[in-house]
Amino acid sequence: MREQLVTDFDKIISDSNFSKKDIELKRISLDKFIEDGFPTKKKEDWKFLDINRAIEKNIGELDFYNDYSFQNKIDTSYFVKGLEHNKIVFINGRIEKIDFKSEDSNKIEIIEESNLSNKFNNINSLINLNNAFANKNYKINVKENYSLKKPLIVYHLTSNKIYKKNINLRLDFKLESNSSLRLIDYFEDDSKDNFINIFYNFDLEKDSSLKNYKIDHKDNKNVKYSFNNIDQKENSISETFILSSGSSFFKNEVNCDLNGKYSSAFVNGIFKLEDFKNHEIKTNINHLTENTKSYQLIKSVLGEGSKAAYQGKISVNSIAQKTDGYQLSKCILLDKTSEFNAKPELEIYADDVKCSHGSASGSLNEDSIFYLMSRGINYEQAKELLINGFLLDVIEKITDSETKNLIKNTLGLKE
Amino acid sequence: MLKINNLNAKIDKKIILNNFSLNINPGEVHAIMGPNGSGKSTLSNILSGKKGYDVTGEILYENKNLFELETEERAHKGIFLAFQYPLEIPGVNTNIFLKTSLNAIRRANGEKELDAIEFLNLVKEKAKNLKFEEEKLNRQLNVGFSGGEKKKNEILQMSILNPKLSILDETDSGLDIDALRIVADGVNSLRKKNNSFLIITHYQRLLDYIKPDFVHVLINGKIIKSGGPELALELEKKGYENFN
Repeated sequence: MREQLVTDFDKIISDSNFSKKDIELKRISLDKFIEDGFPTKKKEDWKFLDINRAIEKNIGELDFYNDYSFQNKIDTSYFVKGLEHNKIVFINGRIEKIDFKSEDSNKIEIIEESNLSNKFNNINSLINLNNAFANKNYKINVKENYSLKKPLIVYHLTSNKIYKKNINLRLDFKLESNSSLRLIDYFEDDSKDNFINIFYNFDLEKDSSLKNYKIDHKDNKNVKYSFNNIDQKENSISETFILSSGSSFFKNEVNCDLNGKYSSAFVNGIFKLEDFKNHEIKTNINHLTENTKSYQLIKSVLGEGSKAAYQGKISVNSIAQKTDGYQLSKCILLDKTSEFNAKPELEIYADDVKCSHGSASGSLNEDSIFYLMSRGINYEQAKELLINGFLLDVIEKITDSETKNLIKNTLGLKE
Repeated sequence: MLKINNLNAKIDKKIILNNFSLNINPGEVHAIMGPNGSGKSTLSNILSGKKGYDVTGEILYENKNLFELETEERAHKGIFLAFQYPLEIPGVNTNIFLKTSLNAIRRANGEKELDAIEFLNLVKEKAKNLKFEEEKLNRQLNVGFSGGEKKKNEILQMSILNPKLSILDETDSGLDIDALRIVADGVNSLRKKNNSFLIITHYQRLLDYIKPDFVHVLINGKIIKSGGPELALELEKKGYENFN
């Protein structure tokens, strides 16, 4: 793999016009990745989803070079209907469109970043890989006191033109004070056997609000990793919702630094898996100052040899008094072949805090199924009613009603 | 309509029903009375197709072998069980459940499914008759309902589905006098030439309001005596223990 990495990296550098300093930083990240390789089970954080094995077993040799000189045709039939929105369209990792037509143009600034920061070196080896290979870095600034009128949908589209490729995406968002953004990540894959590595960084200034909804629903045989780093100032709110369902492998990681007083973070999610899929949500919520709040609710429905894991960590700094931290996961296992792992971690160094966690797994209640069937509803439909009912309360946590409806429709939940 | 011949039922080798026979004709109301553990609920479970029993014998419903029908098919053919303990189903809206159920049965019988408005008109009328608060229909099925409300909800479902054979499993237990009367009125309004009822109860009380054609005494999985409504009164006086 080492040679492949070095050759592919050199090709990318010769294709692009990165500054000398960027190239230097990229090379440091590359060297670090070469040293560490893909994370394996040996690392505690990766013991539930061994991405190294997933790639070896499902993809084999990866190609790290992507030729971004050709434009891809955008198939608008993929766009979400009935919801007016702004767009960023990635096709096979290449940015094809940035469209903020619905907004005041002087309130949103889009910067093609060249100056890489080394702030994110060594979070883990996949971020190093991303730093080394990401093609273009865009930074989106939402100006102070501005709330986007429409949500922004980032389309992650892939076509069958790519196969056994590694794609690295990077976006930066800055929400200036008292601004707000609704961001939907929408995954649609027509490709297979690729490894897609996404890294977002968010800076939330005072009183700003971020809602990030990730929708991975369409069945596909890709391996994905997504890392959200969210840095929060005073009184800012972040809400993350993850619908984790479509890909063969998907690990979503959310790191939230609650740096400002009265800031809060909500991370909710659904695993709906079958067919030997293996997904994970890992959160790190760092309560770094007083009077901050976090809430996490994860619900899973697993069948047919699928596996899901939820590693939720709440860290409370010694000065972070009056912290309120909560996490809960619940799982329905549809058969004996599926597996759910929960690893809640509370690391508390302050004494005046309220923190709790819980996790429960079980099977569908046969008596409930009998009750529904005795009313003429067949087994499959009864099962579906119970599953949808089980998932409903986490969907109800979505505070944006348009997105809530989109996700309900995606899951086939009827009003 | 329903012919049960020499039904035996076991759970884990424990005999619950023992050579049980019963014949219900269209339009008849039968009451089965018996002490705790006499096999009353097992009978209603077997009639509606609950799994987990070893069964021998014969049950004919409209001259067809009932054991060949799945639970939902029995419902399609007009069998309804009002549960002794109606289940709470979190996240499932009561109205949506009722509509899904009604339309599944209509579909199976080749009838046109009701649209949202037709359904709401029907359910409103039925709820009103049963003094069932309409607002509850928009809540999760039976979640947070009182015992009485759950039982009323069963009768509401029964009146919407309009079954041919209704089995009421201790519907009266947990009801106050007013609720008992409303439930009984609901049942009486469904009494028609072709609709039959099997009412399972401990007490004679319910039978003051719903007049049965036949009363059967079930002890240790077997009917030991059958008669008219007067049998219930006799039973009430003597108690199960001294009844033989």
